Amino acid sequence: MGRPDLSRRHLLGAAGGLTVAASFGFAALGTGADALASGADTRVRYWNLFSGGDGANMIAMLDAFRHSHPDIDVKDSTLQWGNPFYTKLAMAAAGNRAPDLGVMHMGRVTGFSPGRLLDPWDVDLLAKYGVREQDYNPALWKRGVIDGKLYALPLDIHVQLCFYRKDVLGKAGLLGDDGRMIPVTSTDEWFDVLKKAKSAQKKGLQTIGLWTNDQNFQWWFFVAFYTQLGGKWFDDANTEVLFDPDKATQVLEFLRRHVTDGYVIPGAPTGEQFINGAPFTWEGNWSVPVFSGAKLDYGATPLPPVFGRQATHAESHAFVLPHQANRGGATNEGAHRLAAYVVTHALQWAAGGHIPAYTPTLSTAAYKKLTPQNEYVSAMDHQATEPKVWFAGSTGVLAQDLGPVVVSSTMGSAKPASVAQTMKKHLTKLLASKNPMDGRTAAQGGAVA
Amino acid sequence: MTTSAHTVLPGARARTATATATVRRKQGFQHGGWFVAPFLALFALFVVWPLLRGVYLSFTDANISGDGANFVGLDNYREALHDQAMWDALGHSAYFTLLVVPCITLLAFLLAMLAHHIERGKWLWRLCFFVPFLLPSTVAANMFQWLFTQGIGLVNETFGITTPWLTDKSYAMIAIVIETLWWTVGFSFLLYLAALQGIPGHLYEAAKLDGANAWDRMVHITLPMLRNITGLVIALQVLASLQLFDQAVVMMDFGPGPELSTRSFVQYTLEQGFTSYRVGYASAMSIIFFVIIAVVALARMWLLRTREEGAR
Repeated sequence: MGRPDLSRRHLLGAAGGLTVAASFGFAALGTGADALASGADTRVRYWNLFSGGDGANMIAMLDAFRHSHPDIDVKDSTLQWGNPFYTKLAMAAAGNRAPDLGVMHMGRVTGFSPGRLLDPWDVDLLAKYGVREQDYNPALWKRGVIDGKLYALPLDIHVQLCFYRKDVLGKAGLLGDDGRMIPVTSTDEWFDVLKKAKSAQKKGLQTIGLWTNDQNFQWWFFVAFYTQLGGKWFDDANTEVLFDPDKATQVLEFLRRHVTDGYVIPGAPTGEQFINGAPFTWEGNWSVPVFSGAKLDYGATPLPPVFGRQATHAESHAFVLPHQANRGGATNEGAHRLAAYVVTHALQWAAGGHIPAYTPTLSTAAYKKLTPQNEYVSAMDHQATEPKVWFAGSTGVLAQDLGPVVVSSTMGSAKPASVAQTMKKHLTKLLASKNPMDGRTAAQGGAVA
Repeated sequence: MTTSAHTVLPGARARTATATATVRRKQGFQHGGWFVAPFLALFALFVVWPLLRGVYLSFTDANISGDGANFVGLDNYREALHDQAMWDALGHSAYFTLLVVPCITLLAFLLAMLAHHIERGKWLWRLCFFVPFLLPSTVAANMFQWLFTQGIGLVNETFGITTPWLTDKSYAMIAIVIETLWWTVGFSFLLYLAALQGIPGHLYEAAKLDGANAWDRMVHITLPMLRNITGLVIALQVLASLQLFDQAVVMMDFGPGPELSTRSFVQYTLEQGFTSYRVGYASAMSIIFFVIIAVVALARMWLLRTREEGAR
C-alpha cells in the first residue's frame, strides 16, 4: 500500500472510514488513515495473540522496529488467544479483509488451509532481511513447510518444563554439584525424587503442580511422555493409525500415579503453590517471568526423561501471511521485513521464557547468561509435537477431543487401559474425517514437507 | 364519514362503522407502524434473517470461512442424532435445569416473603437479594470460582472440608448451580415481591375476621394469588436454564468441566462451530435446540391454557 495522495476527498474519505472502523472494528476500513497520520509510506497491519508478559514484550519489540524503520507504520492488534483468534483470522482471510501479518501456533498451520487462507512466504525476501533456513533447527523449519512452500516462519518454541525450587531440593539432597536438579532417567527414580522432596517440603502444600484437571496441560504432558516412549500416531501417508495403546497406558498410569501416591492436590493452583513453597511444578515456559518476578531460587529443566529418552512437548509461535487476494508490493515487503526483524531480535522475546527459534540468538553471550532459560534451551533438540495433520495444534480439534479423556484417567474416573483404547478410537475417527475448511481428509491433506 | 346516525338505514350504519374501523386501522398502522418499524427492522436483521440463514446452513457442510459450502441434505441432522457427545451435552443442560428451577422458585418465594414481611431495614433486604443479579455473569462466575477453588477457596476453608468442587464431576455442576442461585435469584425474587405487594390487604383482613390463622391465610390466599407468577417464574427459569453457558464456561476455565461433565448444549454447539469450524453441523444443532426450546415454551402455554380452562 503506497502513500495515498493527499486531497480533500481522500482526507474526508479517510475520516469517514475511520469513524466507521472505530464503530465496527473493521480493520480493513481504516484505509491509509493511520499511515497518513504517522507520515509513513507503508502501513503493515499485524494481528497477534500475545497478552500479559508476552504482550508487553511484543509491544517493546514493535516499538524498537518502529524506531529503526520510520518508513513503515505498524498497526498492531492484539486479540484473545485460542479459538477466538483463529476464528477471526479465518473469517478475515476468507472475506479478504486479512491483516498483512499474523501470528499462529505452528501446529495449527496445516489445518488452516495453506494456499487458501494463508499465503506462502517469499523466502528470498526473508533472506534479504537476514532470515535463512540454515539459521533454524531443521525440524522446526520443516513444520512450517507445506507442499514445498514455507507458510509459517517460526518465532520461538515454547515448552512444558519441570520447575523446581532449589531451597527445598537442597534440603532434600536432590541438587547436584552444579546447583541443578539431579538427573532422572526412570519413573522409579522420578517417584523417589518426589518422595524425598515431599519429606523436605512445607506441610499443607502439594509436592508437584500437575494441572491434573486441565485438558490442555494433561494432553501436552501425554504427548511428551508418549514421544519419550517412541510412540507413533499415524503412518507417513496419514492413512493408518499407529497409535499404541500399550505405550499410552504406560503414560496414563504414570500420570495417574502422581495422584494416587499423594503428590498432587487435584485442582490446586500450580504456580501459586510453587511460589508458596511446593518443590515442583510442571508449567509452560511462559511462567518464567512470574517465578523470576517472585524472586524465587528456582531452576527449570525439560520434562524429566522418565521413559529413558528426552522429549518435551513443544509448540511454536510462528508468523504467517493471512491470505489476501492481491498480496504484494510495499505492504507485503513491509510484513516480511517486520517478521524478519522480530525473529532476529528475539532476545527480548526470550526474556519471557520462550526459546528463540532463530538459532544465532541462542549462541549470543546475552542469551547464555539468561537463567533459567539456559538450563532448558536443549529442549529445542527434542521436541515432542502433535502429528502434522489438519486437526492438530494448540487448542485444536485433537486437543479438544483427547485432552478430556486423558484428564479422566489422571483424575481416576476411568481406567488408563480403557482410556488408551478410547484415544485410539478418537484418532481413527479423526483421521478419516474431512477438514471442514477444504473437505479433504488428512491423507488427502497435502501436508507434506 | 360523519353522516348523522338518524338519516341512514341500519344496514348502511353497520357498513359505515366497519369502514370507519378500517380507516382507523389504516391510520393506526400509519402512525404505529412507523413507531415499531425500527424494532421490526432490527428484529428482521438480527433474528429472522440469521434464523433463516441458520436453517439453510444446517443443510450444508459450510465451514467458518463461509465459502465452498455444499448442500448435504439431512446429513448433519442424521449425524447429530447419533452423536453421543451431543446427547451428553443436552443431558447436562437438562440436569442443570432440573436442579436450578425448583431451587430458585422456592428460594425466590421464601426471600420475597421475608422481604415483604420484615418491618425494619426493608430496603436493605431487597438490595441484598437483588444486587447479585446486576453483576455481569463473568464477574459472578469468577467470584465463585475463587470461592470453590480447592486448597485456597473460602468455602472449603470455612467449613474445614476438602471437597473438589470444580475438579470432580460429581460436584462441578452443583457448584455451578449454587453460583446460579446466588446470581440470578434476585430477578424471580423481584417478581414474587411485586406479586405479594399486589395482593389486596382486605382479603387478609376479611380472613382474619373469619378466624383464619397465618397458615390458612398462606395456603388459601397467598399461594393461590401467586399461582400465575409462579407459572411465569418457572417458565422463565426453564428457558433460561436450558441455555446454560456463560457461568459454566467461566467457572471451568473455558473448558468442558471435569470429564466433560459441565459441557452444555450451547457450549458444544459453539465448539463445533468455532473450534472444529463445522458451521453447517453447528447450525443443525442450533436448529435442534431451537425446536427443543420451542416445544418447552409451547408445552407451557398449552398447560396454562388447559389449567385456565379447567378453572373456569
